[in-house]
Amino acid sequence: MLSSGELQALRLSLQAATLGTLLGLPLALSIAWILVKSSFRGKVVLDTLVSLPLILPPVITGYFMLLLLSRGGPAGALLHRAFGVDLVFTWLAAGLAAGLVSLPLMVRAIEVAIAGVDPRLEQAARSLGAGPLRALATVTLPLAYRGILAAALLGFARGLGEFGATIVVAGNIPGQTQTLPLAIFTDLQAGDDSAALRLVAVSLVLALLTLTAHHFLARRRGLLRHPWATSSN
Amino acid sequence: MGHVLELNLRKSYPDFRLSVSAAFPPGIVAVFGPSGSGKTTLLNSVAGLVAPDDGHVILNGRTLFSTGQKLNLPPERRRIGYMFQESLLFPHMTVQENILYGYRLTESRLRRIDPARLVDLLELGPLMDRRPGSLSAGERQRVVLARALATSPDLLLLDEPLASLHVGIKGRILRYLKAVHRRLSIPMVYVSHSMSEVLALAHHVLVLDRGRQIAFDHPRKALAQPLAAPLLTAGSLENLFDVTVLEHRPSVGITLAALGDTVLALSLLDHPAGEMISVAIKASDVILASQRPENISARNVLEARVEEIQFLGNRVLAQARLHERWLVEITPDALENLNLEVGGSVWLILKSTSITPLD
Repeated sequence: MLSSGELQALRLSLQAATLGTLLGLPLALSIAWILVKSSFRGKVVLDTLVSLPLILPPVITGYFMLLLLSRGGPAGALLHRAFGVDLVFTWLAAGLAAGLVSLPLMVRAIEVAIAGVDPRLEQAARSLGAGPLRALATVTLPLAYRGILAAALLGFARGLGEFGATIVVAGNIPGQTQTLPLAIFTDLQAGDDSAALRLVAVSLVLALLTLTAHHFLARRRGLLRHPWATSSN
Repeated sequence: MGHVLELNLRKSYPDFRLSVSAAFPPGIVAVFGPSGSGKTTLLNSVAGLVAPDDGHVILNGRTLFSTGQKLNLPPERRRIGYMFQESLLFPHMTVQENILYGYRLTESRLRRIDPARLVDLLELGPLMDRRPGSLSAGERQRVVLARALATSPDLLLLDEPLASLHVGIKGRILRYLKAVHRRLSIPMVYVSHSMSEVLALAHHVLVLDRGRQIAFDHPRKALAQPLAAPLLTAGSLENLFDVTVLEHRPSVGITLAALGDTVLALSLLDHPAGEMISVAIKASDVILASQRPENISARNVLEARVEEIQFLGNRVLAQARLHERWLVEITPDALENLNLEVGGSVWLILKSTSITPLD
């Protein structure tokens, strides 16, 4: 059904989106927690900065990444000197791009999930001897886990479709950095509509599967906002 | 005896300022005031959930908060149990996990209270594997109490523990609280807007009105202070007593129950004989007579001794002793006609329907 090249594109897409989600999730959790729980000057700046990849054309996000990660850029130079690693034009860069563009989506979704847990449950945990981190880990996170899982799926789905930033920072190298959207673009450029359509079908199935799982989690999350956990009488 | 808790704190909000200075003796100290008087802010300051603007909080000689020393211990290091008004049980844990949550976080050398003992005392055995969502309001309060006590706290804070409960369960929780205090001898700070609960439970009371401390005294004395009297809504005072069911007389529609040596007639109940229940009797439902009335429909005519007569604004609060201290609310006009004398005897008259079971 699919050629080996097309299978490679599928595999690379899944790899990049998975890496992006794995890298983005802890970061998104930390940022969301800071945004929900603390109030400090500059919170607006953090909030804006996190939202930026959502608004900016992904090409620009990719360009910033290129500036940062290329051997002449600050992070790229450091990585090259310390580990002899060059990220630009590898699937790792595609993963980073997927993570960065899906970060704002994950942060927003996790913010909602954390805000849905009564903050006084954490106070109760504190009064029982738990430090702030333990209270977070044993009370808030378990109660918000469905929302957090849904956020991760949303980020994964967004990562699967990443195009603009990926093509700039990872290039479009078949078998190495050519993900599904890039392969479709290449097929269309070459006028191979039937190949493009096959990959479109694959992308659609993937997107639908992910969104169905997300919908299931997001719907069931309502159940987790236990009325007795948040009784606000 | 020394003081358990020394409080000296001020906390300003845009529309409200709390200012308190008091040294709490051991036992149960109530914080009484109408809603919005700063009771919960006071508790939160003691628990470490709110930082006062200025002052200090010292528990058993240990400074928990002091602006002078720039010290503000986080709640987890204060060793104070907190029974929140809305229970705040962890919904994703079983009753057992809830109770053991704080116990496991308590250093073993500080563990004085065995959770198994709490389960026994509060009769939680059958609930251990249930989730908080499947518990009744009264069961939830018992679990919260056990969860807080399992940390062997140096002080227990209770924020209106009876407020969310319907009348039929209040008595049981009150008795559990008394039992906990008696058996575990943990000092308590009990916040309530019900003077009846304060009188039934507390040894000392701090009266708050819009953030101002207007009395800090024995409950009966605090009650009589001119600034405290207006805080008591007319007709709101109740006598809360524990009585033992003696026998049922369905043919005449009454249940007999013992308050010490005194037998009370209640409307017919279905509690088994021998069971202890709590009852509420409104102070304004009790009629006083200077002589024993003959041929009267009220089923309870009881002789008591007058202990105190106080004016609360335009009302009179008489206190009479009959096994317990009875509060009776009458008008100054009635007082004039009765010729009551402190130390003299008086007849308390009440209908069986005026005795409300709280179980």
